[in-house]
Amino acid sequence: MTKRGTRAFFVVSTLLSGLLFLGLTIDSHRKIPALTNAAAIDASVIAGKDVWHRNNCINCHTLLGEGAYYAPDLTQITTQRGAGYLREFLKDPSRFYSEERDRRLMPTLKLSDGDITALIAFLGWVSKIDTQGWPPRPILVRGSSVPGANVGGPPATAASSDPGELGRVLFNSSPPACGACHSIAPNVNIVGPSLSGIAATAASRVRGADYHGKAKDGPGYIRESILDPNAHVLAGPTFAAQGRSLMPGDYAQTLKPEQVDQIVAYLLTLK
Amino acid sequence: MRYSSQRVAYPYFAVAMLLFGLQVAFGLLAAAKYLGPDPLLPVLPFDVVKVIHTNLLLVWVLTGFMGAAYYVVPEESRAELHSVRLAYVQLGLWTAMGVTAVVGYVFRWTAGNKLLEQPFPLKIVIVVVMLMFLYNLGMTIRAGGRLTTTEGVLVAGLACTALLYLPSLLEFDNYTLAIFYRWWTVHLWVEGVWEMIQGGILAYLLIRLSGVDREVLEKWLYVIVGLTFISGILGTAHHYYWIGVPRYWLPLGGLFSALEPLSFLAMAMYAYYAMRRSGLAHPNRMAMHWTIGSAIFSALGAGILGLAHTWPAVNKWTHGTLITSMHGHMAFFGAYVMIVLGMITYALPGLTGRSEDSRETAAGFWSFWLQMAGMFGMTMAFATAGIAQTYLERILGIGYLETQLKLQVHFLMLVATGAVFTLGVALFLWDFFFLAGRPVMAVPAPADATPAGAAVR
Repeated sequence: MTKRGTRAFFVVSTLLSGLLFLGLTIDSHRKIPALTNAAAIDASVIAGKDVWHRNNCINCHTLLGEGAYYAPDLTQITTQRGAGYLREFLKDPSRFYSEERDRRLMPTLKLSDGDITALIAFLGWVSKIDTQGWPPRPILVRGSSVPGANVGGPPATAASSDPGELGRVLFNSSPPACGACHSIAPNVNIVGPSLSGIAATAASRVRGADYHGKAKDGPGYIRESILDPNAHVLAGPTFAAQGRSLMPGDYAQTLKPEQVDQIVAYLLTLK
Repeated sequence: MRYSSQRVAYPYFAVAMLLFGLQVAFGLLAAAKYLGPDPLLPVLPFDVVKVIHTNLLLVWVLTGFMGAAYYVVPEESRAELHSVRLAYVQLGLWTAMGVTAVVGYVFRWTAGNKLLEQPFPLKIVIVVVMLMFLYNLGMTIRAGGRLTTTEGVLVAGLACTALLYLPSLLEFDNYTLAIFYRWWTVHLWVEGVWEMIQGGILAYLLIRLSGVDREVLEKWLYVIVGLTFISGILGTAHHYYWIGVPRYWLPLGGLFSALEPLSFLAMAMYAYYAMRRSGLAHPNRMAMHWTIGSAIFSALGAGILGLAHTWPAVNKWTHGTLITSMHGHMAFFGAYVMIVLGMITYALPGLTGRSEDSRETAAGFWSFWLQMAGMFGMTMAFATAGIAQTYLERILGIGYLETQLKLQVHFLMLVATGAVFTLGVALFLWDFFFLAGRPVMAVPAPADATPAGAAVR
């Protein structure tokens, strides 16, 4: 090849690539408003974006997976934490995290109430962007979607005598090892179905046309599912076979009645 | 060195080296913060240290590119620089901008857009400086009436750098659009036009160091730059996968960024071929180390390690983890830091009026190998941390904070290897400022036509 030839290769390939890139950019520019729900970008979301920029958040956190890697990704944070929690957290992060335990802590930013409201609105808008299915599994700030993996998490002793709290500890203890098969993270089906949002799911399932059990309401449905897994069988490759649930059927014998109450109380907190 | 005005490169290199030292100090501090707890949290939290670390990198590498261009262009176009005075004014303005930005970040004056955090007034200063710079180069080339392919690629790369900075002046209400155009600057710089600059400097150094025929090297330079743009322009797609754009960017990004290693491999082969032909006869062996090192290290860091996580099915899991830091550190160091250090090492004997074979110091070689070892170790620390993070946090679903606690041993390794790297950089600075001799400064007068040889102290 001569120098003329290689120069032609450079010019032509660059031009073609550039043109294709520009064409796709124009097309993307037309489609981005729908994919990002741009109609929902109101003054509050824009103000929140400015708060995000002014406070240099991107140099610790990631958003849509972009940023620094020193603090958690916040793409889905508003679906994992309520606005009330986020508000309290932003006012004083040291109430929730500590340098001793977590080895790093977010500085207190001295945000105004208006700034916080706007920032939460912005993050709420971000959480609804069509990200082509990313992240494939929830990215959690703390805790675990997999049983036995919540290393460094709270010990398996109850923090109070609240039935729900006792139930949470029981859920993660072995036996009965509920958590060995059921995750509480959305869409993470270990063996049995994920119990994320089970309180709401149970209430709607019990009213479904395909439900033929004896329960009358959500709590009743959950209790029935623990004591008699075959009362209502969900289809799924690892959930059931030949119309029979694969879940152990002896919890009526191995669990004390008050333990069943506690687990039901805990599961009802998963909204 | 044939033209006395080439000496304006020295102050550019000196500023670049000072900022390099500062950048690495901030880097080491950032690494220590991964271990925690952080006693500096109230005054200098991680985000400030990180923004200074990355911005200093951009500023000093660009300073090095400017110095390199002022050194290369007069020689290639066979003319004195159009205006030495303008070059000094430009450097003053540029340095003032850089220092203001860094001090501003400490006091939380920031635009908060990753890598383009420079507040708007400073962005305007950057544009003005780039225009002064390009004007000075353009007038020099015009006066010489000669434009070689080598300098053409170098200057075109610099001009495109300025052009592609312009999208960063725009504000978007839609965060996705803001990210979309931010990559026009950041990606098309480092995986596009900066590779032109690297290729141009590499070609210049290979011509000088190996003595291989210019026609042959320049012919292949076109192929390298062509490959860069085929893969680099559409390779922008690998930043678009998950940010709220149409799905077609996924296969496009996978395909074209998988081709990105080609241009880096071509550069490595290019350097290898040139050196084989010449038998490594040039007396400036330190410059040779940095030049060949740059070609090889960028092929590894930018080429292979980029490829490691660019495929959408992999990136889906690694996106936003320390895997990105693994690739980023070695790629930037190999492609841009090393080529600037190579250029400095090559030009230094001429700039300080010494003969080329006297320019060999133990400190210089130690600096090279300590930086190599340190950066390789840091890359491995980020890689092991990133792989563990991907597995624990993204695949198993363990919380971010618990995962980070599990990575402490890798952060220890990061700090240790980072310290080795810092030592290497310190030796380079010591060599540059204290062992290489005093510079002979260019004076802003057209009458100054002292031949290089006569400038020996």
